[in-house]
Amino acid sequence: METNHKSSKGKMIASGIIPLIFLIILTAYVFGPGSDLLDLGVPLPEISMELIDFVDSEIQVTVRNTGPIPVEVVMADVNDRIQPSAIEPDRFLERFETALVRIPFEWNESEPYLIGLTIEDGTRFEKEIEAAAPALKPDLELIGLFAIIGTYVGIIPVMIGLLWLPFIRKISKRKYHFFLALTAGLLLFLGIDAIEEAIEVSNENLSDSFNGILLVVTVTVLSFLGLYYAGQKLIDNAQLSRLSKPLAIALMIAIGIGLHNFGEGLAIGAAVGLGSIAFSTFLIVGFALHNTTEGIAIAGPLSKDNASTRSLIVKLISLGLIAGSPAIFGAWIGGFSYSPFSSVVFLAIGAGAIFQVIVVLFRMIREEGDKNLSSASVVSGISIGMLVMYLTSILV
Amino acid sequence: MILLLSLTIGLSAIVVFPTFSEAQSEQKTFVTHSGAVIRTTGEVIDPLYTVSTVDFDPMEYLREFNYGDISELSDGTTVREFTIIAEDDKMMEVSPGVFYNVWTYNGTVPGPTIRATEGDIVKINFINNGSKEHTIHFHGIHPSEMDGVFEAIGPGGGKFVYEFEAGPVGVHPYHCHVMPLEEHIIHGLYGVFIVDPKEGRAPADEMVMVLNGLDTDFDTENNFYAANTIPFYYQHHPIQIDTHELIRIYVVNMVEFDPINNFHLHGNLYKYYPTGTDLVPSFYTDMITLSQTERGIMEFEYSYPGKYLFHAHKVEFSEKGWVGIFLVTDNEKQDVGEVDYGN
Repeated sequence: METNHKSSKGKMIASGIIPLIFLIILTAYVFGPGSDLLDLGVPLPEISMELIDFVDSEIQVTVRNTGPIPVEVVMADVNDRIQPSAIEPDRFLERFETALVRIPFEWNESEPYLIGLTIEDGTRFEKEIEAAAPALKPDLELIGLFAIIGTYVGIIPVMIGLLWLPFIRKISKRKYHFFLALTAGLLLFLGIDAIEEAIEVSNENLSDSFNGILLVVTVTVLSFLGLYYAGQKLIDNAQLSRLSKPLAIALMIAIGIGLHNFGEGLAIGAAVGLGSIAFSTFLIVGFALHNTTEGIAIAGPLSKDNASTRSLIVKLISLGLIAGSPAIFGAWIGGFSYSPFSSVVFLAIGAGAIFQVIVVLFRMIREEGDKNLSSASVVSGISIGMLVMYLTSILV
Repeated sequence: MILLLSLTIGLSAIVVFPTFSEAQSEQKTFVTHSGAVIRTTGEVIDPLYTVSTVDFDPMEYLREFNYGDISELSDGTTVREFTIIAEDDKMMEVSPGVFYNVWTYNGTVPGPTIRATEGDIVKINFINNGSKEHTIHFHGIHPSEMDGVFEAIGPGGGKFVYEFEAGPVGVHPYHCHVMPLEEHIIHGLYGVFIVDPKEGRAPADEMVMVLNGLDTDFDTENNFYAANTIPFYYQHHPIQIDTHELIRIYVVNMVEFDPINNFHLHGNLYKYYPTGTDLVPSFYTDMITLSQTERGIMEFEYSYPGKYLFHAHKVEFSEKGWVGIFLVTDNEKQDVGEVDYGN
C-alpha cells in the first residue's frame, strides 16, 4: 500500500516535470547557440529618452536601451546640431540598461528643444521638450513646499470628508447602504481614472517594449489579488486582534486610497518639475475638492464601528494620515526623481487596490441583506458617486 | 512551478532594476564650444574634437592627384589609363563610433581624383566588384556610349572600358548613374575629374574638396556634412598652408537632399572660376553658393599668419561637420608638425 502510494506520488511529480523539460528543450532549440530557426528579419535597435533635465549650462538625458539588441550611444545633438557630450557610466547599453548623457549647452528657459541621440549604426532618435525649465533641486524649502502641497491635497481633504462620519452614523440602514454604494461609485471612478492615467503615461514616455497596457493590467491584477488576500486575512483575524471588522474594512479602504493618492502626488510633483506652475495650482485645487469624497469612502464602513468617541478620533486621524500622506511622498518623488516606469507601476498598484476595496464594499452590502445589489439605495449610490467624481474631475 | 516562478521573478527583476555597467573611477575632461571644461566619470562622445581612427584619411585625399599610367599614341596624343573598382559592402567608421555602409570607387569616398590635360585620351578600366549594378558617368564632353548611363555594368566582376578625350578644361564630378540614382550617389560612388588647360595653371598649393553629406539613418535628411567625407576632420586637423603662397581649391558639391551648399572663407576673399572652364575669374568673394554637382576653382593667398575657419555659411551644415581650419604660417619651409587642436 505504502509503495503504491509512493510510486503514484513519483508519477505525479514526473507528469508535472516532463512537460517542463520539453519546454526547456524547445526554448534551448529555438534560442540556443547555433540555432538560426528564428533568424528572420533584422532586429532594429531602439533607445528611449525617459527623462530630460535642464541644469546649469547642461542638458541631462536619461536614456534606456528599449530595443532587442545592445547599442552604443555615440553622439548627442540639440536641435539637430551636434554637441560634444559625455555619457555615464559608458556608451555601451545592454538591453534595458540606462545611462546618463550630459550635454553642455547654454539653454534658454521656456524655449522648446529637440534632443537627439545617435547610435553606432547611424540611427538618430529624438525627443521634443516643449519648454525648457530648470530641474528642481531637492533643497529644504522645496521639500517643505511639496510637503505642504501634499498635506493640502491629500491629508486635509480626506480629514474633511471624514467629518461626515457623525452624520452617516445617525442614518438608517437603507441610507447607510446608499453611502456605501456611493463610496463604491467614487472608488470605481478613481480606479478607472488611475488606469487611464497609467496608460497615458506609458504611451507618452515608455517604449513599446514595456507593453504599456499589459504592464498596467498585470500590475493592477497582481495588486488586486495581493491586497484581496491580505485584506481577507485582516478581516478574518479582526476578531482575534483589537480591530473591529468595520475598522478593518476602513483600514483597507484607507490603504487603497493612500496608494491612489501617491499617484496623485507623483502627478503634481511632476507637473511642478516640468515647470507648468499654473497647471499645478489648478491640479492642487482640483485634487483637494476631488479628494474630500475619499474621506466619505473611509467614513462609510467606519460608521458601524462602536468605539468610544475618543478612540474614534484617534482612528480617524490615523486613517486620514494613511490615506492622505502618501500624496506628500508622491510629490517628492514626482518632483525630484520622476521616472515614467515607476509612475505607471504605482498608478496601476493604486488601481488594483481600489478595485479590491470595491469588491469588499459590495460584499459588505450583500452580507447585510441586499443580495443582488439591486436596491434603489445601492444603484443610486453608485450612480451618484460616479457623477460626483466626474463633475469634480472636470476641475482638475 | 517553483522554477517557472523564480524565472519570472528573475526576469522581472532585470526589467525593473536596470543594471548599470561598472562605473569607471577615472575622471575625464573635455572642452565645449564655449570653452567650458566638463568633467565626467563616464565617456566623452565628441565627434568635434576627438581624433578618430578612420579608414579614410582626408588629409591624404586633399592633395592626391592621379595622372594615370601614361602612354602615347603615334600622333603624340597622351593616353592616361586608370583602373577603378566599384564595391558596395564596406562598413566605414565615418565619425567616431558611427558606422555606415559606404559604396566606393577604389575603396574610398570620394573616389580617386582623376587628372588629365585637355586633349588627352582618358581610358578607365572599370570593374564592378559590388553586389549591384554600377557605372561611371563623367560630366564633360564625350560620345553617348561613354556616358555611363544606359550600359549598367553587372555585379560580381562586370567590366567596361570608358574612353574619351579629356575636356572641357575645368573641374567635373564623376559618379555612378544606376537607378535609384540618389541611393548610388549618397552611398559614396562619386569623385573628381580635373581637366587642366594645355598651357597649365600658375604654380600653387592645390587641393580638392568634395562637399558631401551622409544620411546614416536613411530618412532622406543628412545626419552629417563634410568637406571630404569625415565630419569636423579639418577642424581638429587644420590644413597647413603658407603666407603669400597661391592656394587653389577644386571644390565640388555632391550634397544630396539639401538644395544648396556654400563655402565661406574667413579673413580673406578668393577668386572664383565657376566650373573652372574659364581662365578669368567671375567673382572675387568670400561666399559662393553651390547647387547639386555645381563646382569650381577657388584661388587665394593669405597675408597674415594664424588660424582661419572655412565652412558652410548654412550654419546647420557646419554644426554637423562641414567646417575646417587653415593654419597659415609665415615660415615657408619649416615643417610645422601636426597640431592637436582642442585637446
